[in-house]
Parts: sequence; structure tokens; C-alpha cells
Amino acid sequence: MNKKTLSTTAMALLLSAGLALPAAAQGTLTVSSPQDPGSWDPIDTFLVNWASVATNIYDGLTYRGPDMELVPALATGWEELDEGTRIRFTLREGVTFHNGEPFNAEAVKFTFDRLLGDEGAAGPQQSNYTSIDSVEIIDDYTVDFHLGAPDPVLLTKLAGYGAMIVPPQYASEVSEEEFNLNPVGTGPFSFVSYEPRIGINLEAFEDHWGGAPQLANLNYRFITEPSTAVAELQSGGVDLVIPPTIPIGMISTIEQDPRLSVVSTPGPTVYSLRFNTRDGITADERVRRALIMAVDRDTIVEAILGGEASVIASLQGELSFGFDPALEPLPYDPEAARALLAEAGVAPGSQVQIDIRGNDATFNEVVQAISAYLAQVGITASIQPYETNVLLNDIIPQGRTGAMFQQSWGGWTFDYDNTAYSMYHSGEKWNPYDSDPELDALLESQRPMTDRDAREEVLHEIARYTAERALEMPIYNLNAIYAVSDRVQNFVPAPDSRLRLTDVTVE
Amino acid sequence: MTGFLFKRLLQAAFVVMVVTLIVAWAVRLTGDPALMLTSGSANVTEADLARIREGLGLNEPFLVQYFNTLAGLFTWDFGRSFVGGTQVSLLIASALPATLALAFASMAVAILISIPLGIRAAVSRGKWADQLIRITSLIGLSFPNFWLATMLVLIFSITLRWLPPSGMSGWQSFIMPALTMGVILTATNVRLVRTTMLEVLQSQYIMVARAKGLSERTVLYKHALRNCAIPLITYMGLQFGGLLGGVVVVERVFNWPGMGSLAFDAVAARDYPVLQSVIMVLSLLIVSVNLLVDIAYGLVDPRIRTE
Repeated sequence: MNKKTLSTTAMALLLSAGLALPAAAQGTLTVSSPQDPGSWDPIDTFLVNWASVATNIYDGLTYRGPDMELVPALATGWEELDEGTRIRFTLREGVTFHNGEPFNAEAVKFTFDRLLGDEGAAGPQQSNYTSIDSVEIIDDYTVDFHLGAPDPVLLTKLAGYGAMIVPPQYASEVSEEEFNLNPVGTGPFSFVSYEPRIGINLEAFEDHWGGAPQLANLNYRFITEPSTAVAELQSGGVDLVIPPTIPIGMISTIEQDPRLSVVSTPGPTVYSLRFNTRDGITADERVRRALIMAVDRDTIVEAILGGEASVIASLQGELSFGFDPALEPLPYDPEAARALLAEAGVAPGSQVQIDIRGNDATFNEVVQAISAYLAQVGITASIQPYETNVLLNDIIPQGRTGAMFQQSWGGWTFDYDNTAYSMYHSGEKWNPYDSDPELDALLESQRPMTDRDAREEVLHEIARYTAERALEMPIYNLNAIYAVSDRVQNFVPAPDSRLRLTDVTVE
Repeated sequence: MTGFLFKRLLQAAFVVMVVTLIVAWAVRLTGDPALMLTSGSANVTEADLARIREGLGLNEPFLVQYFNTLAGLFTWDFGRSFVGGTQVSLLIASALPATLALAFASMAVAILISIPLGIRAAVSRGKWADQLIRITSLIGLSFPNFWLATMLVLIFSITLRWLPPSGMSGWQSFIMPALTMGVILTATNVRLVRTTMLEVLQSQYIMVARAKGLSERTVLYKHALRNCAIPLITYMGLQFGGLLGGVVVVERVFNWPGMGSLAFDAVAARDYPVLQSVIMVLSLLIVSVNLLVDIAYGLVDPRIRTE
């Protein structure tokens, strides 16, 4: 075969291949993200806005999309053995990293050795995965995870953050800094360029095991100021603004623009005012119930949060594992509240102090409203704003709060254990006042359970128990709010902001 | 002169030391960076926090940490950011030129507007043009810069779609931020130009120049303006130093990748190395500009040297 025929044949082959392939990836989507995590290495950060980008670059063994269902990703299946202390994963074959390295059992072992070893020890991710003792290679495409104790949330945790699989050869050859700035994974988009504090650009990885994404280019710009992000959206500089950027107050501006829309979904964060259950009038359970019933939480959600939240009965939202739809919030009933206060011997005009984070404008408004409601049942509330760090470091853990204090909380795993254990177990940092052996026992009992239904039942019981004791005033679960340009099609908001933009197209 | 220089240099070094020492000390009062880094995680134990603090070098005595940062000035190694571990020198290397460019552009705007207006006001002293210019500059002075910035974005980016609303990309992106900062400087500068010009215009050599039949334009821009130059340059030099420190708001509104927004984010994240280094570099720059002005003064006016 001479050269010419060769090239003609090649052309013909290319053409026929081209005809057989689906339409190639096309278009560029520009996303505004409020924070630059500074490093793209999975072990370096816990930041939500790391994950909102990196979920496109990396894959985990499992995957959890916007529907919150846990599905196979780099592992095609798994089996819990030895009463939950060993998990065997079968790995997907034929997967390559963006740099061409093959994905196999060695990559999985390398990833977790790195996370749980010295390199991971300097970062904040290691502590999430300490239930893993070791990873054992069974064959090229089978690994066993040996656990110190069963970890019911581990499969979820393998879908994000520190558990993202990294390429062993690349990660060990290049310096730590090089990897931070030039990430390589197996995800649907591969890294193109990164300018610290300006943006990061990705492009479609055509060989992704899940099929090539619809978009050719996916660019992120880091814009902190909400009004700037919205101005960019209005002028076409960005197509999508992701949480946590848009404050409630800006929603109407966006909705007035016919080319833009606001899309939201229940998010991970719940807001509450917790009580000092040890001292003062709030040590009395009746008083705590009265204070909750004095506040019309539905009206607060409608009037202040524009409906972008839902009233909660325990410290979790509807997407949380452990959420019990049967558990109703205490009703708004100022009459009953007054009666309970009288019964507890609380004189009208009694004072409570509410400690809040000074920089949270929306919650500030909420607390103003709460204080007005409390005034109607004869309780005078004084609001004490603190700098966030001061409140979190010096006031709450040291037990130096007023009668009530702000606790906003949420973890990407959406597992009630994540919240409940830290809030209610004796001696925990976020539990400065209460000690309840019965509650401790409940909290401890669910941790080793591998039977999901049985564990969910215990989590329901914990939620009921804390609601009965009125350990906090649960207020609302805030939505994750996205602002989208009408160029963008097939957009599905992710509750945890970990947006995988494979199916999105742009006009 | 050497004694004068030496004294001024010592003063400058002392100012930088004090400023950075206060910043380093104050930022450590505001909370624990290890806690900031892990606040998204529920399973963090005290042991984890201790490990992270160790990793960040927070267990070193305060003065050791402080002098390590200070030493960075000489080695251009300011350590690593607590957030993500990027080298601080890298962050500063990209942020400082952005801020300097914006500051120069703003100065240019201020000069281009204020000199012709100031001269015009001086020439038409007491007439309607003078009144108008003075009132307009007072209005300019009263604008809060974030409001001006928002209005510019609303008009030129959102409604007209002529200019990018934020970011640093090409000359178009300089227009609104430079205008925002420039207009506010203009207000004071117009008054300064007017006053100095008025003084100069009284002097005899201007009368001589006019008597010689030179055009008014040559008289004003060649003869009078040159003699105003020294106080103007001095004042604007100081203004430039002030600009470097005052860009935070404008940088934030325009998402400008400069030193101001770098410092702002560093405060929020308790990123000590970044914050300290940014403040150190900025205060060094401001002190240097002041020092240059002092030296220039000393050269021009011998009385200041012996002061």
C-alpha cells in the first residue's frame, strides 16, 4: 500500500467513524463559584467549592448525583463482609486517567494509602476516613477495605472529597505543589488551566467511562461578591452562579430578568437556636417548649426567606438519612406558650440572650423576628452578635453562650449521625451543656449498624427524643440556590453543590 | 544629606516593623485556622486539630513565626497559604501587578480630569465655571465608591453591555474600576490644582509672560503649570500610596485579582501567611513612596534636611 492509498483509507475510516459517533461535545459553560480552594488535591480541603469543580475532574468508587442515590462509579459493585468490617469492591475495567495512566486496584490502594498516611495527615480530609484501617489488593480489579469498625456512612463518603481516586504514577512523580495546581483524575472533564483566585478551565474528556460530556469546555470563575456574580450573569459573562453565593434578598432581582431564573433544591444546612439546658430559665424543658411554640416559623420562612427553606422538626432537612416525615414541628401556639411559661414560674419580662454570627445578614433578620415573637409571650430577648470564629471557638465550646445560640450546621454526607453525634453526645465540642446517658446510648448504638433500615429507625428515635426534650429550637433547612441563564439547558441543581455538568448543554 | 537619609530609612523600617507586628499579633486573636480548615467536618478530634496546627507551623512561638514572615521580604519566600498550600509569593506575584496597574490607571484618570478642570476653575475664579467645577467636585467627593461602582456596572455592563462587569481581562476591564477610584481622587485634586494655580497666577512672571503676548494656553500649561508641579507631584505621590491601601472595596466589587481582595479573603480564612505578607508588602510600598517624597523634598528644599 503506498502512502496515498494509506491516507485515503485513513480518511475513509475517520469519516465512517465520525458518522457512527454521537455529536461531539460542544459549547462552553462558564460558572461563577464563590471561592478558590487554592489546591485541587483531594486531600487538601473540605471546601464545598472545591467539590463543585472537582466532582467533574475526579471519580470516586461510588457516585451520588443530585437525586442523592448512591450508585456505582469506579467500583461496579461492592459487598460487605465480616459483619461490616471488610468491604470488597469490584473495580471498573478499561478506565484511564486523563494522562493515560490505567485505573486499577493499585490506584485505589495508592489513593487511600496517601490519604491515610503522612501526606494526608497535614490536611483536613484524613479525619473523615479514619474508619479505614487498610486497603488490600486482591487482584487487578478487586480490592478489600479493612475497617477498624463498621462505618455506615463510608460508602457515601467514598463518593466525594478525600476519597477521589488519584493517578499513582503522576501523583508520586510530580511535586505536591505541581499536583495541587495541575490535577489529574478519571472524571468527565480534564484540567486545562488554573489561575489562582481568577478561575479554572476544564475540557471534555472524550474517553470517560460514562461517555463524553455534552459540553466541550467548562470554565469556572471565582467571584465572591453576590452582586458582582449576578452582574456577570446579567451581562452574559457567566451562565450559572452556584451556591453559596446568592443571598435571599437578591432572588427578586434575578427573577425580574426574563433571561435568568433561580433554581433551588433543599440544601444540607439547617438553622437552629440551641438552648443552654444547664443554667437559667432554659434549663426547664417546659420553658424551652414554650419558646419554640412562641415563634411562627412558617411565617418566618415565607416572609424572610421567600419560601427558599422548609421548617424542620429536628436538626436535619428532608434529604438527610434519618429524616422522619412523621415527626412534626411543634405548632405555633402563643397561648400554650404563655401557659407553659406561667406553669414553669417564668415571670413576664424575663430576659434571654441570643448569640448569633454577626455576618449572617439573613439569619440576623430571622432572629429579629424571633425576638419580636418572644416579646409577645412576655420574654425580652437581647441579640448578641459575635464574629463567627469567636462564636465557634470561644463562646459555644466553652459554654459561655446566652440562653440561646445560633447553630447552623450541615454536612455533605446528608447523614443525621453527622449532626446528632456532635450536637448531643456528652463531652462533644458542640454540646457544652447537656449530658444524657440515654441519648448517648442511642447515638452510640447506631454507629456500628450495617443494616440501613435498623439504623434509620434508631436515627428516627434520636430525632424524636431530642424534639421531646426540646434541646433546640429547630428553625429551617435552607435551600441551595442557583441562578441560571436561559442559555443553559438540562440543568439539575445539586443539593450538596457537587454539580457534575455532563448532561448540560448551552445554546 | 547622608544623615537625613539614614534617619528617614530607619524611620521607614521602624514603621514597617510596627505595622506588620500589630497585624501578625491581631490576626492571631481572631481564631484558630485549623478550626476554619475543618469546620465542614464533623469527625474532627482535638488530635486532628493539633496535627493540622503542627502542619501549619502554628506551634512555633509567635516571634519565630513573625520573623519567618519578615525574613520572607529578603528571600521572597513568604511560606504557603493555609488554604490550599499555594506559595504566598506566587499569589503576591500575580496580585501586586494587578493592584499597581489599577492604581496607575486610577491616577491617570484623576490627573487627566483634575488638571484641566482645576486650571479652568482657577482662571475663571468666582465665575460660573469655577462654581460649577467646585460643586461638581464636591459631589464627586461625596460619592461612596461602592455605590458609584454599582451604578457604572448597572449602566455600562448590564444595560448597555459595553464593558465587562468584573475581572481583569483587556483594557476594557480597567475602565470602570479606574473611573470609580479616579473620580473620587479627582474631587480633591481639582481643588488642589485650583488653589496652587491661583497662587502661581498672581506672580509677576505670569504677568510678564502675558505682557510678552504669549497665548493664554502657553501661559497656563507651560509657565504656570510647571510651577505648580512640585506640590502637585508631592501630593499625588502620597495619594498613590494611599490608593494601594484603599483598593479593597473597589477590587471586591469588580472582582479584581489584586492585593486588596487577596487580603480580604485571607482575613476571612484566617490565612495568616497571606494576610501578613500582603500587609507587609503594601506597607513597605507605601512607606517607600513616602520616603521618596521625603527625599525629593529634602533635595529641593535644604531647610527640610536640617529639620
